[in-house]
Amino acid sequence: MTMVSPGPVTVPPVAGPPPTDPAPAPRGGRRRRPDDEGGRGIVSPGEWRSPVAGTLLRLAHAVLLIGLLVVGLGPLLWLVKASLSHTQDTLRDPMALFPSGVDWANLATAWSEVHVDLYFFNSMALAAGSWLVQLVVATTGGYALAVLRPRYGPVLYWLVLSTLFVPAVVLLVPLYLTIIDPPLIGVSLVDSFWAVWLPAGANAFNVLLAKRFFDNLPREVFEAARIDGAGPLRVFWSVLLPMSRPILGVISVFAFVTAWKDFLWPLLVLRDPDIQPLSVRLPTLARSIELDVLLAALTISALIPVALFLVFQRTFLRSAGLSGALKG
Amino acid sequence: MLTWIRRGGLSTLLFLLPLVVVFGVFSWWPIVRAAVMSVQQTNLVTAPVFVGWENFETVFTDPLLGTAVRNTAFFALIALVFGYPIPLVAAVLMSEVRRWRGLYSAVAYLPVVVPPVVAVLMWKVFYDPRPEGLFNTVLGWVGIAPQSWLQSADTAMGSLVLEATWAAAGGTVIIYLAALVAVPPELYDAAEVDGASIWRKVWHVTLPQLRGVLLVTLILQIIGTSQVFLEPFLFTGGGPANSTITVLLLIYDYAFSSSLGGDYGAATALSLVLAVFLALLSALYFRLTRSWSTS
Amino acid sequence: MRSIRKPAAAVAAALVLAGMTACSGGGEPTTTPEGKTAITVVSLKPGSEQAAFDAFEEQVRQFEAANPTIDVTTQEYEWTGPTFTAQLAGGTLPTVFTVPFTDGAGLVERGQLADITEHVQALGYVDKFNEAVLATGKSADGRIFALPTEAYGVGLQYNRTLFQQAGLDPDEPPTTWDEVRSYAEQIAERTGQAGYAEMTQDNTGGWMLTTLTYALGGRMQSVTGDQVQATVDNPGAKAALQRLKQMRWEDGSMGANVLYDWSTINQDFAAGKIGMYMGGSDVYTSLKQQNGIDPDDYGLAVLPLAPGADSGLLGGGTLAAVNVKASPEQQAAATKWIDFYYLGKFVRQDAAVQDAKTLAESDQPVGVPKLPIFDEATLTQYNEWIEPYVNVPLGQMSSFTEGIHGQHLAGEPPAQAQEMYAVLDTVVQAVLSDPNADIDALLAQADADVQTVLDRG
Repeated sequence: MTMVSPGPVTVPPVAGPPPTDPAPAPRGGRRRRPDDEGGRGIVSPGEWRSPVAGTLLRLAHAVLLIGLLVVGLGPLLWLVKASLSHTQDTLRDPMALFPSGVDWANLATAWSEVHVDLYFFNSMALAAGSWLVQLVVATTGGYALAVLRPRYGPVLYWLVLSTLFVPAVVLLVPLYLTIIDPPLIGVSLVDSFWAVWLPAGANAFNVLLAKRFFDNLPREVFEAARIDGAGPLRVFWSVLLPMSRPILGVISVFAFVTAWKDFLWPLLVLRDPDIQPLSVRLPTLARSIELDVLLAALTISALIPVALFLVFQRTFLRSAGLSGALKG
Repeated sequence: MLTWIRRGGLSTLLFLLPLVVVFGVFSWWPIVRAAVMSVQQTNLVTAPVFVGWENFETVFTDPLLGTAVRNTAFFALIALVFGYPIPLVAAVLMSEVRRWRGLYSAVAYLPVVVPPVVAVLMWKVFYDPRPEGLFNTVLGWVGIAPQSWLQSADTAMGSLVLEATWAAAGGTVIIYLAALVAVPPELYDAAEVDGASIWRKVWHVTLPQLRGVLLVTLILQIIGTSQVFLEPFLFTGGGPANSTITVLLLIYDYAFSSSLGGDYGAATALSLVLAVFLALLSALYFRLTRSWSTS
Repeated sequence: MRSIRKPAAAVAAALVLAGMTACSGGGEPTTTPEGKTAITVVSLKPGSEQAAFDAFEEQVRQFEAANPTIDVTTQEYEWTGPTFTAQLAGGTLPTVFTVPFTDGAGLVERGQLADITEHVQALGYVDKFNEAVLATGKSADGRIFALPTEAYGVGLQYNRTLFQQAGLDPDEPPTTWDEVRSYAEQIAERTGQAGYAEMTQDNTGGWMLTTLTYALGGRMQSVTGDQVQATVDNPGAKAALQRLKQMRWEDGSMGANVLYDWSTINQDFAAGKIGMYMGGSDVYTSLKQQNGIDPDDYGLAVLPLAPGADSGLLGGGTLAAVNVKASPEQQAAATKWIDFYYLGKFVRQDAAVQDAKTLAESDQPVGVPKLPIFDEATLTQYNEWIEPYVNVPLGQMSSFTEGIHGQHLAGEPPAQAQEMYAVLDTVVQAVLSDPNADIDALLAQADADVQTVLDRG
């Protein structure tokens, strides 16, 4: 469950398989000429060559790139700089470059003494567990609803989809009370990773994505496998899942990103500092540790997802194009 | 019974088990419980008491509710002013980029991958109200007087929106880019035959083609911003003088901020009111996506 | 449906049990496998320095050595109004935890604390407590649910280095509020830092407004029989807010940051960004442990009180209480811990010496000014016992330690103090963030709002 993002009230504009690549992100050298393979844009080749329009457009692009770099990259570069500076430098002249030298110790202090390493591990564990629970619920549920199709399936599917209309905020208090005193087991889940992992699974959007994708897979494949003697489990594991890589990727990115960003829910249910993720722990620490160490801790916390993004850029942007607004 | 099992009824159930358990315990049951709790007085110590509409009365007579609704609406409004046209202009321009388009979208999307808490704590430093603060230093370069940012009721909300827009705009840009790629090139060819300029092509071809996406992002943004919590909670705690208290922050305060025990009834009552409002919006959203994706 | 539910229950239970063992969260066992009584106690505030945690761990070892049947787990903890309830409701409070005096009665009334009367009586010094202080943790019928562990009076914290830089004598802190104002202006002018700052968030704004109001002769509540009346709209409060308004907007001596809570104002003070602020007399411990303040910077003065019989110094304190969910064995063990860690040192020399020695060896503050929770003589005796170990700059606190005896101490408002403080936060923030704030209107509105809180009970 996510409290920070707009909540589960979101469905992608396109939810059918396979997700088309809406934002091709060509690598540096490869040009994508507007007139290649009919893939032209608003501006025609003739206009590109025109001295006025073409120049203006190039100028606009240059301004845009500079603007994007200043706004998108600038703050992060500043953060890196500040995390290597002395507190007093950052306070007195935040825009100066290392007036009294570089302070490498901040990063080490943040990592080991402030225990960013521990909170980072907790963030990873929370994200990984939420991801796994979401994947299990979405794939098994989607498989049963789309392929096995029990008679009560439509009712169940409707019940799942109806939760899309209930914003996360309604769940805040009753879900919290449920976690304190869960039915069936009677032991409080507070201060346990399960308090975050399990509610994360109740994500109707994932079920919807998975079911729609499975719906569109050719049924003959499943029939053939069944005639060959494969049981439902075997069909699920050896036929369905291998065919579903694209949608699993999309769900995974969503799951990981939301879990990494979640704040209010882990704040409520993880009170023990030793199991808190970075998002919960950093605001507490910000109230006591020195500024340079805090900024170093922020740098570490920001650079890891940024690095992941740069490596898996295409997957990230494809998911974002599919439903970027999910991240509000 | 046996034939039911042989026909796969049991294994189907087993496959549905994770879904049913997880949704049952962590979604359906809490939703029902929210409805029940909104007409009860619950403090977790003594047994809940039925109180009828009393919780709703508490909420609607709370002078803070008006403030919170106004603030939330104000946040949503200026978030639209900042966060709606800028990504659109950027996306239209970016769709025409011929070299390094990947660089453009990567840089635009970068703030979105920064964890929100990290972004807020970083921007809190940017918003240092002293003349030596980062933003005030930059403003000083162009001769603008230092601003109070988060420390004044007049500028606090604007400052929250600025950060929120920075953190979210990249996502909107990528959605628009996706939609722009899907505009059929023949439409531009046809427009050129009629002698349309670049400007007219944007106005008469591109924007009408984006109408569906624009509506959807509009509603999504309103749904998202009416639940804003993180920014006011971490930046200002609702201050100064309640100028940034939002509906969700008020719900949180009802439930958790009195040190002698929370008012869970009022909290759930207010969250249900907000939910009805959001459900109406999302119903609208579903209608629009349906008509849009079939058109 | 039956067939769905049963396996569902089994699977859910199995999943959860697996999680429990995997990350040791969840339930709180009352005994360890070796049959010891397990209790959880409050350690230090988040972000304290490692040496402070080391010293604390050493004290835990001493306690466990003396009580081999008790197993102590520690938990980092800081009481703030807005975070306490989530812990209370979530059942994540330690077996022994601390709350301010203001919340003792309310928590007792709501049945949230364990009755520890018998265990406390066994300690043998219950009759030595200052009766008024002990009453903050007692129920109406005289049962003991919480024990006072320390009491503070609010003092004026000031930065000696900034005083010097501003051309002020650090050994002559201000003695009137007019002096506070002119000193603050001088500091702001000559050093560029905030001359004076005030807490405004998480109920601390109301706490400090009440302190200043007391100091100027006002009171926030009046009690007749069992009726409590809000008197927020009083001349003292008005004078207090007008002073803040003048310093903030006419003199420009309060800096630009108006959103401070307890932690962040300490943080900025230790970083040399604040000349003076009001804070508890015992805050030095936290300034040292959490914020690493340079001891040479630190000065503590007695709070100036306006002339007149009505002015008073706001004092408060901390109660140690035992979780209502604790088993009888845990309650007994918890009370032993309260004796060992918080109270025994005041009445037994060996305990006092051991405590002071352990702290001093890790360079943790010993000898911070406190107000008596027992009688005056007991505190004097205690101060003598620990004298060899005192390592805080007591000389820089002499204005407080000497001046406090002449001051009229006044307790915090008797009813719903924290909720009232929350209402007053807004008033203080409005005055400090809006140059055109209408003090009369704000006070009238706050008075009505507080009355509503009081009437709701």
